[in-house]
Amino acid sequence: MSGLSRRLRGILGNAAATDARAASLGLLLMFLAPALLFYAGFAVYPVLRTFYNSFHAIRPQGVVEFVGIGNFRSILFADPTFWKAVGNTALFTVIATLVDVFGGLLLALCLFARAPSAGLLRVIWFTPVLMSYVVVGVIWVWIYDYDWGLANAILHWIGLGAYEQSWLGHPSTALWSVMGAHIWKWLGFNMIVFLAALYALPGEVLGAAELDNCGWVAKLFYIIIPMLRATIVNLLVLSFIGKMMVFDLVWIMTGGGPLWSTETVSTYVYKRAFDWNTFDLGYPSAIAVLWFVIILAFIAIMTRLLRQRDRLEF
Amino acid sequence: MAVITVERLSKRYEGGSAPAVKEVSFTVADREFMVLLGPSGCGKSTVLRMIAGLEPITAGTVSIDGRVVNDVPAKARDIAMVFQSYALYPHMSVHDNLAFGLRRRGVDKAEIDRRVRAAAAKLGLSEFLQRKPHALSGGQRQRVALGRAIVRDPKVFLFDEPLSNLDAALRVSTRNELIKQQREIGTTSIYVTHDQVEAMTMGDRICIMNLGEVVQIGRPLEVYRNPANTFVARFLGNPPMNLLKARLEARDGRTVATVAGVAVELPARMTAALASQSDRAVIAGLRPEDIYEVPPSGTSATRLPVRVVAVEPLGAETLLALTLEGSGEELVARIGRDTALRSGDRAEVALDGAQVHLFDPATTRAIV
Amino acid sequence: MQPRLAPLRRVPLAAFALFYTIVSGGPFLWVAVMSLRTTAEIFKNPYGPPSPAHWEKFTDAWDKSNYHTYFWNSVVVVTIAVVLVTVIGAMAAHCLARYRFRGSRLVRFLILSGLVLPPQLLILALFQILLDIHLYNTLTGLIVVYVATHIAMTVYILEGFFAQIPQDLFDAAKMDGYSDLEIFWRITMPVGAPAIFTTVTLNFIILWNEFLFAVVLLTDDDKRTLPLGIMHFMGSHQLDVGMVATGLMIAIVPVLLIYGFFSETMIKGMTAGAVR
Repeated sequence: MSGLSRRLRGILGNAAATDARAASLGLLLMFLAPALLFYAGFAVYPVLRTFYNSFHAIRPQGVVEFVGIGNFRSILFADPTFWKAVGNTALFTVIATLVDVFGGLLLALCLFARAPSAGLLRVIWFTPVLMSYVVVGVIWVWIYDYDWGLANAILHWIGLGAYEQSWLGHPSTALWSVMGAHIWKWLGFNMIVFLAALYALPGEVLGAAELDNCGWVAKLFYIIIPMLRATIVNLLVLSFIGKMMVFDLVWIMTGGGPLWSTETVSTYVYKRAFDWNTFDLGYPSAIAVLWFVIILAFIAIMTRLLRQRDRLEF
Repeated sequence: MAVITVERLSKRYEGGSAPAVKEVSFTVADREFMVLLGPSGCGKSTVLRMIAGLEPITAGTVSIDGRVVNDVPAKARDIAMVFQSYALYPHMSVHDNLAFGLRRRGVDKAEIDRRVRAAAAKLGLSEFLQRKPHALSGGQRQRVALGRAIVRDPKVFLFDEPLSNLDAALRVSTRNELIKQQREIGTTSIYVTHDQVEAMTMGDRICIMNLGEVVQIGRPLEVYRNPANTFVARFLGNPPMNLLKARLEARDGRTVATVAGVAVELPARMTAALASQSDRAVIAGLRPEDIYEVPPSGTSATRLPVRVVAVEPLGAETLLALTLEGSGEELVARIGRDTALRSGDRAEVALDGAQVHLFDPATTRAIV
Repeated sequence: MQPRLAPLRRVPLAAFALFYTIVSGGPFLWVAVMSLRTTAEIFKNPYGPPSPAHWEKFTDAWDKSNYHTYFWNSVVVVTIAVVLVTVIGAMAAHCLARYRFRGSRLVRFLILSGLVLPPQLLILALFQILLDIHLYNTLTGLIVVYVATHIAMTVYILEGFFAQIPQDLFDAAKMDGYSDLEIFWRITMPVGAPAIFTTVTLNFIILWNEFLFAVVLLTDDDKRTLPLGIMHFMGSHQLDVGMVATGLMIAIVPVLLIYGFFSETMIKGMTAGAVR
């Protein structure tokens, strides 16, 4: 009996009142229950239900029909729109991630090299990060406007009037144009994170490099970038996730058009669920599940390939 | 009025192989100031936290005034503690830091205010009562931490290395201040430190711990003069006691200790006790201050041939790093500042056999 | 020690800085100017100055469209969701940072796994679930979803900070006689205030701008939050560029005002999850 009660006390964490870091089960529940309830009900359960949905066809009036891997088979082998969306998303992800991260690094270095009034510039350059996609989207729709947009106006001013075009209206430029707006919004974010990492670099090492007769460029490539490796990998992964899921800006600026030229996986999921009047939540759920698995796999590969084995001591 | 008794107190952490504290027993008398001394990781802080009620006890008992308090929660033990990091509430003023513990205990407002002001006056904190901890100096923070214990007027004070975050000069003055306060208030106190100077100067008694066990308990000078084993011998005193290989030998019917081939005369009380133990290996302990360049008059000095390795003049005195000519063993001597010895010199130093300590090489315990 | 460039090299640096400042700030200035001009004026010269300044356009936008409704819906939803997620998240973070208990690693893993859950994986099922429990197309439903989807980030940031609060402080409070719940309210919350402020800022900005959940889970015009409202406003005033610009400014100005006063906090908040 006493053995059992001691075991129980161990399991429930109900150690003597004298342990500063022990808590009774009731206390733990009081602290954790609200978070766990919200999380289980409106995050874990929806995920499980999405997985469940992905193996079913869900018709109006709650008719649910098990279709096994039928949805996945259709997506992979009989859905050219899906593959178009995958291609667009992949291009968007690779280009926008690289430009965002390394552009952010460039901006950060610019401020780190003591550009005049760097403190103020840092605040201004960060502003787009705070704006909602709706605000950013509307502004850039105007910038790309054929008749009076800023993009064409600038081309006109600098004598490249021949290149004026309907940026969002043309399948060959629409995706790149949306990408530009997305990069513009997020560059400041990467800049700030890099700037914090740059200031955390040990000054002695940079000084030592200077004594080793390292020029500004050599210092960047041999000292600064290797020491920022962890930050770069973090931002690449973070940016990668964001871009793979890109929805809001595309939806606001082009709605996936013209001619599916900006269709991304996320906008396609949304369309299949709510716009196409198929009323089948199973098929889009299957796309979401498939895409999530692919993202997880890429994250695992990226971290495995890029993360250095040992942490740098400094 | 409080007597603390700790009996066969043990602590074993989950997953840990060796116990962190092994059967520690001691009693702290009423109004006594007991110091728990030992190197870091020796279990002294764990003992203190078990007494405070912040750490569950694996085995043994803690009693206050004869009442076992093992299962009494910390807040009900009527104990106040001063933490190493001071643990001041950073978001509260000094006044509120001092009052925080009283508000919980149903003390009425006027009384809280009176006690806070009295404690602040006693500690010279009156003008800082409205400040937040971050606006105080290290010494002032330390005094707030002490004040927080004093206002509670508890049965027992516990101190967990309260001076280790202060700089050297402040540490000395705060040390004296703290002793003065404790003597005035007379509350039974247990003080944990790894600093032997603090232990020597502050404690009514010292309890020296090593590897989770009590090694020796006693008055500071008593422990210094008669260390129970080589650990205590080396731990108390700076520079530490020299330990040299030696043999007990019978010569002319008396027992002597030979160190590097030189026979050292032992005092009568030792020779009597050691009569039956001649011809065995021992460790001879010799404090640096018991080695002389010129022997004081009236003592029976033995001379040891040495080579001077280094001379470190400290100002008031000079430390010599020496090697014994006979065995090559190293030792340190503390001598007067006017020495003419230079590094590389060969010389003879003197020692008094009456000041030699003997330890058993197998058990490291003191012989006699 | 920072690199200091020779004066000659500082010129291109300054030029680039100026260029990017125009790129990042210019569009906002453009919108601000347009918000004070009529559509006719804009179409005549899209980049002209705001003279005369038509301030009355702001009251027009506020009154004649449903703008005030969108604005207050956003205020209500975001405020309640941020308060809830902060308190609930802080409680969980305190518990995970402070107590040792069986299963704590599992609970931590479970909650933090929410960091990698994309909204697209939840949204379709959330649509069904809210329909089932009759919270679809209600602000309450949106609040609940916002809280659930932002707990992970909140706990992640707060736990990291709470774990650094020295144990001594909690021991001292315990010896002072405070219960576990009081220790949470009187020690963890005030001492952790900087981190709490950070998560509040972060959640506030993210939720104030949130679009996907809102567009799926709300349909009635009088329930729309600000981002949906602007979208709708833009849809119904497609050609009235001047009016849409005014509408945009109403959304931009509060953010800019807060940013002006708390720029450091907001920058720290937005990047809190990314800086290791």
